[in-house]
Amino acid sequence: MNPRLSRRRFIKAVIASSAAAAANSGITSAVAKDRPTGAVERLISLNINGRTRRVDVLPQEMLAYTLRYKLGLTGTKIGCNRGECGACTVIIDGVTNYSCSTLTHSVRSRKVLTIEGLQSAEGALHPVQQAFIDELSPQCGFCTPGQVMSAVALLEENPTPTREEARQALSGNLCRCGAYDHYLNGVMRASGQNS
Amino acid sequence: MSDYKHIGKDFVPPDIMGKVTGKAKYAEDFRVDGMVYARMYTSPMAHGRVTNIDTSAAEAMEGVVGILTAEDVPATDAPSAAILTNTPAYIGDPILAVAAEDEKTAENALASIRIDIEPLPFVTDPLDSLVAGGPDAREEGNVYVRSQEGSGFRTVKWTKEQVDEFRAGREPGGEYANEWSYGDLEKGFADARVIIEEPFVTIGYAHMSMEPRTAMAYWQNGTCYMHASCQSQSFFMPGLAAMLGVETKDVVLISENTGGGFGSKIGAYPIVGLAGYFSKKIGRPVQLRVTREQEYYMGSARVGFQGWIKIGFAADGRATAADVFIVEDIGPNATGGDASSAGGAISLVYDPEAMRFRGLPILTNTTPRGAQRGPGQNQIAAVMAPLMDKAAKQLGIDRLQIRRVNAVQNDTTVYAGQEPVTSAYMDEALQQGAEMFDWETRKNQAKRNGSKVRGLGIGQGYHSAGTNGFDGLVRITPDGKIHLHSGIGNLGTYSFASTSRVAAEVLKCEWDDCVIHHGSTEANLPWNSYQAGSVSTFTQTRTNYVAAMDAVDKMKRIAAETLGGTPDDYDIDGQRVFRIGTPAQGMSYGAVAARAIQLGGAYSGQTYPEDIHEITQRSVQNLAGSGLIGVAKDKLERNGVIPGLACAFVEIELDLETGKYDILDYVGIADCGTVLHPQGLAQQMKGGAVWGMGMAGLERHVYDPQNGLPANVGFHECRIPTYMDVPSVIQVGAVDLPDPQNPVGARGIGEPAMGCSVAALTSAISDALDGHIFGRTPISADMIVNHVAGLDQSFKPLQTNNS
Amino acid sequence: MASFDVMPDMQLYQPVELDDALNLADRYAADGWILGGGQDTYGWLKDRAKHPQAMIDLNGIEALRGIRDSADGIEIGAATTLREIIRDKRINRDYRLLSDAAATVASPQIRNVGTLGGNLVQDARCWYYRRGLSCYRAGGNTCYADTPDGINREHCIFGASRCVAVTPSDTATAMVALEATMVVQSVAGERTVSAEDFFVGPDTHITQMTSLEPGEILTAVRIPAKWAGKKFYFEKIADRNVWDFALVSIAVAMSMDGDTIGDSRFVCGGVACTPHRLRHVENAARGKSLSDESADAVASIAADGARPLNANQYKLPMMENLVRRAMRA
Repeated sequence: MNPRLSRRRFIKAVIASSAAAAANSGITSAVAKDRPTGAVERLISLNINGRTRRVDVLPQEMLAYTLRYKLGLTGTKIGCNRGECGACTVIIDGVTNYSCSTLTHSVRSRKVLTIEGLQSAEGALHPVQQAFIDELSPQCGFCTPGQVMSAVALLEENPTPTREEARQALSGNLCRCGAYDHYLNGVMRASGQNS
Repeated sequence: MSDYKHIGKDFVPPDIMGKVTGKAKYAEDFRVDGMVYARMYTSPMAHGRVTNIDTSAAEAMEGVVGILTAEDVPATDAPSAAILTNTPAYIGDPILAVAAEDEKTAENALASIRIDIEPLPFVTDPLDSLVAGGPDAREEGNVYVRSQEGSGFRTVKWTKEQVDEFRAGREPGGEYANEWSYGDLEKGFADARVIIEEPFVTIGYAHMSMEPRTAMAYWQNGTCYMHASCQSQSFFMPGLAAMLGVETKDVVLISENTGGGFGSKIGAYPIVGLAGYFSKKIGRPVQLRVTREQEYYMGSARVGFQGWIKIGFAADGRATAADVFIVEDIGPNATGGDASSAGGAISLVYDPEAMRFRGLPILTNTTPRGAQRGPGQNQIAAVMAPLMDKAAKQLGIDRLQIRRVNAVQNDTTVYAGQEPVTSAYMDEALQQGAEMFDWETRKNQAKRNGSKVRGLGIGQGYHSAGTNGFDGLVRITPDGKIHLHSGIGNLGTYSFASTSRVAAEVLKCEWDDCVIHHGSTEANLPWNSYQAGSVSTFTQTRTNYVAAMDAVDKMKRIAAETLGGTPDDYDIDGQRVFRIGTPAQGMSYGAVAARAIQLGGAYSGQTYPEDIHEITQRSVQNLAGSGLIGVAKDKLERNGVIPGLACAFVEIELDLETGKYDILDYVGIADCGTVLHPQGLAQQMKGGAVWGMGMAGLERHVYDPQNGLPANVGFHECRIPTYMDVPSVIQVGAVDLPDPQNPVGARGIGEPAMGCSVAALTSAISDALDGHIFGRTPISADMIVNHVAGLDQSFKPLQTNNS
Repeated sequence: MASFDVMPDMQLYQPVELDDALNLADRYAADGWILGGGQDTYGWLKDRAKHPQAMIDLNGIEALRGIRDSADGIEIGAATTLREIIRDKRINRDYRLLSDAAATVASPQIRNVGTLGGNLVQDARCWYYRRGLSCYRAGGNTCYADTPDGINREHCIFGASRCVAVTPSDTATAMVALEATMVVQSVAGERTVSAEDFFVGPDTHITQMTSLEPGEILTAVRIPAKWAGKKFYFEKIADRNVWDFALVSIAVAMSMDGDTIGDSRFVCGGVACTPHRLRHVENAARGKSLSDESADAVASIAADGARPLNANQYKLPMMENLVRRAMRA
């Protein structure tokens, strides 16, 4: 059995009717008696930017909310909270996700990478970040963390994309300032190709 | 000045590192101890009167901290926007707010609140209000006229026949509210070889900045600390203070980064007042993060136009006369005023020998309107481009030629008052663009390939691009650092930094030794211009110039006082002030700064010019004694209209079967005087191009006329252009000829960058469809398919806010 | 009304066994929300326009994931992501119609987590309905869109029955074209239903888009080998090229005998509440070659029977044009 499954099967702790849990522990344990299989516990471990973080998460809580308001990782932006803009894009197990539309409970035992996790321990910028500076890619900057994360995920998988591939890969990230051309220049530069 | 050290060179703006690392703080990224979360209950009704509010269930909820209603905030007179209202005039108008320990509880509380609203008549399309018997958006009237002679409501009604005539594309015969003209209109039309007469509609649409605006306020010892999303910094302050009922000295505004504004965050807007009053009422810091839907409601929107235009052209293409009539949709709060600006743009860009403008601003129960990137100029740019093409075709002249022959030049006079321009190089821009685009070759290429047709378009954009009279403030400290204080705001154009570089240029100093102070009132900022209307570049280069010149003057005087001679014996370079002829005799900037502190007086800001703004005065007072202070009000010459100009050439491939088109090539050329910041200019030109593409084909308000409901409250339904809707490469260039009324020759460009794009696209679409003129933006796929299939469009002529 | 942005409290289950999920689905019935990628879920819940008591997340159930051989063709687990489908070699080789359709869904991030099952069973996008108005589809007794002034540019031209919403699913049209079978399970056991019958119009069930009843879970989709490697055509016309739902789309599978069309399936999206099969087009196409002439002939009948609303008559020529494009050489 794969470790992720066994981990999940093993979850037998206090449960997660958030209404009950929010009220008091007496109600919580009363509900726990007939806890159906698979209900989630609230205190969970998350792997964020290579670090394990313990955090109390409501059942219906979205990852963007947990990151910003419980873990202080405010680089992840909420532009719409509806999966319509991409400002909240993070990388989960190598794949871009809208963190506003990802249940925090669904990323237990998965690796979450946010904009704060890109710089090296010594503080060196990721090549995408440096290229975005060199190309003056951001304007207002509110979509930038999401654009960076989509670009990073692309280059992990395809280190030398064509400009069209980069355009497709970043297409789930809106930029209201219209800096698309400059972001694509940044991706091409980060990949070592002339924009 | 010439042989610049900083002007025209790229640099790394100080705020970009934070943007690519996520460390940049926007208003919502701040938290303070004890902060509570506010949420708004917004009107579900397009127009109504609140008759009862029951918040008892909400107040009984654990975690609910307070409720704010219209009774808790200053009343405003219609049609001004209220912080909270009991007479909502659009769906989304805020009625009350609730604060709680967390957002979920605040929303649970909202869900429990019961509000009774008595419905009042409402209207979503100005012409439905204009027609006799039609509903009025406000009980006070359906028209609101702003003028220097006095502003006020009116009720203007046309007969059904008059409205029908207008819809049919004939000259409107009903009452109007504003008028201006110049020249002999009758003679102009009599002289014309060709006269083009067309109706038009440009549908308003939401700004939809990426950042949903947040306001967070708390009070300490009578001072209100406000974290907000503002596109202006100092300029925001007087309105903010007035809204809060205090003086500017009692407000600290923190706005380090702003997630887009596009005209929607120039001055204080209601939710900053809401946060301030709520915090005062409950004695806790209050953060109000609006939802995306609420950002749609109160984040402002472009004014919609319904109009008629008639233009005459002589045989050589010269415009002889223009007569334009615009009904403008000014929303519920009578904001906007785009129509007259559109008329001004016609007078400048096409320079008709005679012209008349008539306008009628009509209130609707749709979202509040406001300045949006090229307010008026860009709507009319979209309208005009295909008309110019039509005229060229009828006259048998080239489409480029008809634009060149009418191009605004240095000696052109513009607007109702036929004022001069500071400089203008539209013809040079057109020539440069035509060459880059290879217009001559492309215009002769084959158009049709299967179901696809190529279309070429040329567009021109304009906005007045500068103002004057603001203050500059620089400071040199004994450590040799040069401090550049900027109160312009940080909208994302980097102009707070690029305009500050003018001070560095004047001071002949290294950029690495400069520190920019911005983003908070506490950074001691000068009274600076609004960051809007393409004015930053022209205006702030001047303030930085005069402040730096004041610093240079003071350094020379200090050197003379310290080392002997007269100030004229001294010059600066290498961050030293030295004696001309014996350069070894001099002082470093650090030493001069230390000396300035010793000498005091004006040198170190103990005294200052009387004509600087009180906000600048307070900053100087705070900084006094910390170094050499350069501070001055911009009193440089300014005579005439400062035009920001741009043109664009575009080639599209339109599929007649799908109604979709690809933008194959785009070339945009700026005439913004001397190029201040090449990368920043490219960003503005390209971002503006994307905005034009959104306006041309995608973005619009949609309102159900039956119930006043908006159909598009999110990014998705608002159809904000994506990577895949715009070309992946946009080419740009600049004329780069200096404007004589700016010390470094620079003018602004942000808005014309969009106007030229939307115009080039409406021109190209028309070209692809054998000259068909939709007379409407946006031009969506369904319209193109209907047109090709010979079907009627699904909206009434001149209908707006439709699907 | 308030504008909401944060979900109210509700229960979340993340079972790892299908049986547990089926038991939960049975127990909660209409009060349970079956969760795939969640991309059509969270908006409803954040808006507080739907009020389930519990979410039952299927993503941890390995049995619901993956693309495997079946007795006749392939079987795709309902929790398989669109990303996996788009990248699957076998689907790209044999059932390209599906991967082409899946590639046009929404945006990369949504395809990364959006599941096939979720895409197929997603709810109608009619904006009145999405606003939480009490229309027929929401259990009320009116339709806001089907009125002389209704904003109905994106609504149906076929199959109106009180409700005029359209299917928003890009993969649904491909499934009908490929004659897929839907595998539906509940505590009562398994049933299979053809894709064509799986999607239901308002005349059948006005508050549902599919024949899934409360307590049932779509667990897999089986695509028969019949259409493997045949000639396919998929095209979607939308306002924006990312995120947007089809104004009109078409999924076509054609069995070619040399240059001649034999059996075929023509299915349009965005024109009816269900994927709209064009049987008369299929009949007319039989025996024809792929050419401009036959394209024009067949296209001319494509929209027969359509009844446009006040703002969507463009869908008729758009639909005809898509048929025309599918029939070209």
